[in-house]
Amino acid sequence: MTRVLGIEVRRSAALGTVLILLVAGGILLYAAPQRWAASWMALAMSEREYLVLLWPLALAAGAWQARREHRSHVAELFASTARPRAQRMVPVLGAMAIAAAAAYLLVAAAGLPWIIDTAQYLPARAFVVLAVGVLAMIGGVWLGLAVGRLVPSMVTAPALAVAGIAFLMLLPVATGHRNWLSLVFSPMYGMGQYTDYQTVGGRVSLAQVIWLVAFAVAAAVLLASGGWRTRVAALLPVTVGAALALAVVPRGEFVDNPTDTVAQELVCADGAPRVCVSRVHAGLMSEVVPPARQALAALAKLPDAPTAVHEDTTTYYPAWSPAPQPGVVLADVHVDKYGHLAWPDRFVPKLVIAAMTPVICDDGYDPSATHAAAAYLLDQELVAGWGEWDIIPREVDADAVAMLSGLRKLPGQEAVARIAALRRAAAGCKDLKAALTGSAR
Amino acid sequence: MRWLTLYLRSRHVPLALVLSLGLTVVLWSLWSIFSNSPDAGAPMVVLTVLILVTTVAITFAGPDEALERTAALPWWPRRAAHVLAALVLILVLLLATLPTGARFGPAALVLRDAAGLLGLAALGAATIGAIRAWFAPLGWTLAVIVFPAGGGTAGQIITWQTQEPGNRAAAVTAAVLAVAGLVAYALSGPVRPAPAEAAF
Repeated sequence: MTRVLGIEVRRSAALGTVLILLVAGGILLYAAPQRWAASWMALAMSEREYLVLLWPLALAAGAWQARREHRSHVAELFASTARPRAQRMVPVLGAMAIAAAAAYLLVAAAGLPWIIDTAQYLPARAFVVLAVGVLAMIGGVWLGLAVGRLVPSMVTAPALAVAGIAFLMLLPVATGHRNWLSLVFSPMYGMGQYTDYQTVGGRVSLAQVIWLVAFAVAAAVLLASGGWRTRVAALLPVTVGAALALAVVPRGEFVDNPTDTVAQELVCADGAPRVCVSRVHAGLMSEVVPPARQALAALAKLPDAPTAVHEDTTTYYPAWSPAPQPGVVLADVHVDKYGHLAWPDRFVPKLVIAAMTPVICDDGYDPSATHAAAAYLLDQELVAGWGEWDIIPREVDADAVAMLSGLRKLPGQEAVARIAALRRAAAGCKDLKAALTGSAR
Repeated sequence: MRWLTLYLRSRHVPLALVLSLGLTVVLWSLWSIFSNSPDAGAPMVVLTVLILVTTVAITFAGPDEALERTAALPWWPRRAAHVLAALVLILVLLLATLPTGARFGPAALVLRDAAGLLGLAALGAATIGAIRAWFAPLGWTLAVIVFPAGGGTAGQIITWQTQEPGNRAAAVTAAVLAVAGLVAYALSGPVRPAPAEAAF
């Protein structure tokens, strides 16, 4: 049997399938590495999202392979062999399943060297997410085989690919945006990531596994069947699988983007002052700690200065934010497309600014005043985009430059006192500029 | 006339004609029923062009290429005419929808995508064989429809199928593909398939 399988792998469309899927998956992956460079889970989830193209291609590959018998006009010859049809189908099912699974795993492996030195947190769920993707690919290639045998036309393979992509893209619309329903039947659904802490629910994965196994079994039965009676029997696993999966899948508001609370937990660096990042970003610790301590040192000139930096682990879907703690500066930690800390040169000013920024005020936030104060504390000049993340203005903030030079003309103690006043004003939602220029006193 | 009939039949042209007409009618009806806007969305138009190109691409080879090559006929004008006729067929099918209640346009987009994708398919027929000719147009276009983003000239070239009709980079890409496909297919014809696939 192993020998037959080996021959089948070599002679069928298996190798071509692996090649096409690997090329398509690799291009998709590296077209936007910022989508998955943050963590292993992000890589697994992004690849699942790329099933939108990989799965229809698997369908087409299966249908393509199924036409081989038809093309070479050997159906009659094979029908005369003294073996049941089901037994003859096992090698081709095996070969194509191996090809689809290998291609999917190879695409994941293609992302591996990119993030292997920065990503540390590897939850078991990431393997579950990967396994569901593999199952989806096997089911897809088997369904392609079955349909390709039932309709051995030249346009079956491309038509199946188009139909597959239309199914995946239109399913959320067809289910009336019932997330839990889309999650069961579409392995690519719910894989968009809002935060680096996102995961896939365990029961969601279980429901998907049940459905995909039933789906693959039905496709195999359809392929191996010789008559309409067994073909109708293929409906049985589909029905049972769908019913079981729907019974298992959780229903709720955020079933499609739950937070991995373990990934979100803070882990702290050795030594003082305390700097903590979320577990999923633990690989960036060495990049975060020095600038964070530099920022704390600059802030130490102020009375009642903050003594620790924590990553801001706020999530918006569902809305959650860490409880405010005195003496802790919350830092946004973004990961760039190389898996490293994004905008490292702006990390220090951003932290100092964050320490002097009001939590939430209706008005009164004045970036110019805060920037000037931060530049004074850091003893740096203001440049365009100083202290900003993504949207960078082209011009240097003239107001901030004026306030900075005003601060520098003052004696050191007075300037620090005014910055402390600005910080108090920020906490109390008062006018920051007035506090910094001293006009409030 | 007899030659033409035999030629068309040997290339499954009747099947391709019925399929393209049927698919156009199906997609046209789907858009008429399910949409409020008379103008079909750009992804829908691109997808329709793609399906039609894939369908006509099956006519790019006859049952026995080796035998046909022995005929004392200049093949290149016939092959070129074949590709151009396929382009005309797609254009006629889709532009016929313009006066109706579900418009698959604009015409410039249809012309650019049909020409470019057909060129790509012809290029495929000349290099990897007519039965695999749909690989490149299908894989490329589906990926672009799902991930349409493309800034900069390189991005516009990569996602040429979904760019605006007036986009120059996309038009140039389509023209290059169309001319390359036409020339390659007309001059060299479809590659000879492997023996096992000879009589598909």
